[in-house]
Amino acid sequence: MGEQRITLNVNGRDYDISIEPDMVLADVLREKLDLTGTKVSCREGECGACTILMDGKACLSCLTLAVQAQGKKIVTIEGLAEKGQLHPIQKAFINHGAIQCGYCTPGMIMSAKALLDENPNPTPDEVKTALSGNLCRCTGYVKIVDAVMAAADDMKRGENK
Amino acid sequence: MAYSLKSFEYFEPSTIEEATRLLSTYQPKAKVIAAGVDLISRMRHRKIEPQYVVSLMNIPGLTDIENDEESLRFGSMTTLMSLELLLKGDKTYAALYEAIHNLSSVQVKNTATLVGNLCVATPASDMSSALCALNAKLKIAGTSGERIVPIDEFYLDVGKTVLQPDEIVTQVIVPRPGSHSGNAFYNLLRVKCDVAKVNVSVSLTLDNDRCQEVRIALGAVAPTIVRAKQAEEKLLKSNPFDEKAIVEAAQTASTEVKPITDIRSTAEYRQEMVKVLVKRALEKAWTRARE
Ligand SMILES: Cc1cc2nc3c(=O)[nH]c(=O)nc-3n(C[C@H](O)[C@H](O)[C@H](O)COP(=O)(O)OP(=O)(O)OC[C@H]3O[C@@H](n4cnc5c(N)ncnc54)[C@H](O)[C@@H]3O)c2cc1C
Ligand code: FES
Ligand code: FES
Repeated sequence: MGEQRITLNVNGRDYDISIEPDMVLADVLREKLDLTGTKVSCREGECGACTILMDGKACLSCLTLAVQAQGKKIVTIEGLAEKGQLHPIQKAFINHGAIQCGYCTPGMIMSAKALLDENPNPTPDEVKTALSGNLCRCTGYVKIVDAVMAAADDMKRGENK
Repeated sequence: MAYSLKSFEYFEPSTIEEATRLLSTYQPKAKVIAAGVDLISRMRHRKIEPQYVVSLMNIPGLTDIENDEESLRFGSMTTLMSLELLLKGDKTYAALYEAIHNLSSVQVKNTATLVGNLCVATPASDMSSALCALNAKLKIAGTSGERIVPIDEFYLDVGKTVLQPDEIVTQVIVPRPGSHSGNAFYNLLRVKCDVAKVNVSVSLTLDNDRCQEVRIALGAVAPTIVRAKQAEEKLLKSNPFDEKAIVEAAQTASTEVKPITDIRSTAEYRQEMVKVLVKRALEKAWTRARE
């Protein structure tokens, strides 16, 4: 029924694009903006692989129309590294073996980022609650929780430097 | 499985009047979208194929929340997460808090609206169950004006509500339970992220050793949320209202419902679990009412 011009703010940059209103945000990110770090798996809200931040909150890009994401600040996994340096959460995932196949990782890290931005001192239970909408087929979750706890420590130390 | 949606025309009205007019013009091919968590999935499965989609996202006021001595009132675009944060640590609307808190996906709660959940009209909705026990009312706007419908009268069948094609829910009103009141919610799931086999919400008010008011709402045991009215009747007559009365009422509730067997559970198990959960919920609500 015709394309519509929209502006999406992703990782601090405005993208003016023309899309069909029936496209979900995950597909626009991956196919129109070439930001393929965001993964898509179930498209049902069950797995969290497609998690991105909208105005700082973890959201599902598979069940959000891209047209409804206008005016929001969107952050994807590509937006975390700064000056060629991985974000402390990304580093912690690597160092703690919290990545195996890696398919769940971008979503896990975005959920962890939303948590740590709001609560820099979470308990392991708070980490588990924050990640309860993200499924991992490989790791068994223990190392993921360890990585997020370690990242919280790293981020605090980073600030005190 | 197709992964794209069928194409549609998208509207973002900025007033309720404009939204209802669009719905009226394009009925029956138009559909409201709130966050889209349920609608997008159904459209992808080709269960709903609207040609016009009307978003409520840009209508001011629909995320307003007011919580005072009279009632809790929230607009239809209020997310589950804002309500969970608002109600945390307050036992006044404990059943609603518990129903929302039980939903395990943070991402879903961050965008999905409570009214979107109600309008899907699944008999297993935890939110409808909690709000039914709490005697909530829905404010509904259409091209011919506004009306208020008690949630008891909102559902007609699985996936069917009294909403006319040009109508939208604008607000939920939950009357504030008075003193000596307590409420509680329980559900039973196979795993935490599954849909409930059974859910139970209870709200009661005590008058010394009698039960003055009680509402027991049951989900996933009939085509819509239902009340266990015979069990409620028993509790109102019980003198005194005590543990024995609770056990009897739970037994009555389990025999007055006629659930079906489906992939999630059998009819017999559902009935048995109604007994268990009604007892637990009544005990919890009773304790809260005396705190
Ligand atoms: C992973 C996952 C887990 C879940 N777990 C639970 C759970 O444990 N318990 C539970 O009860 N639910 C659960 N749900 C269901 C979830 O709560 C609902 O899908 C969600 O709240 C729908 O809200 P929405 O804003 O996305 O609605 P939408 O998808 O936008 O709309 C849903 C329907 O309501 C209609 N609608 C929306 N707003 C209005 C309005 N204001 N007026 C008229 N019609 C309207 C739409 O036309 C559509 O038909 C779960 C869902 C997912 C994906
Ligand atoms: S792909 Fe979005 S939740 Fe699974
Ligand atoms: S690392 Fe493979 S799914 Fe999580």
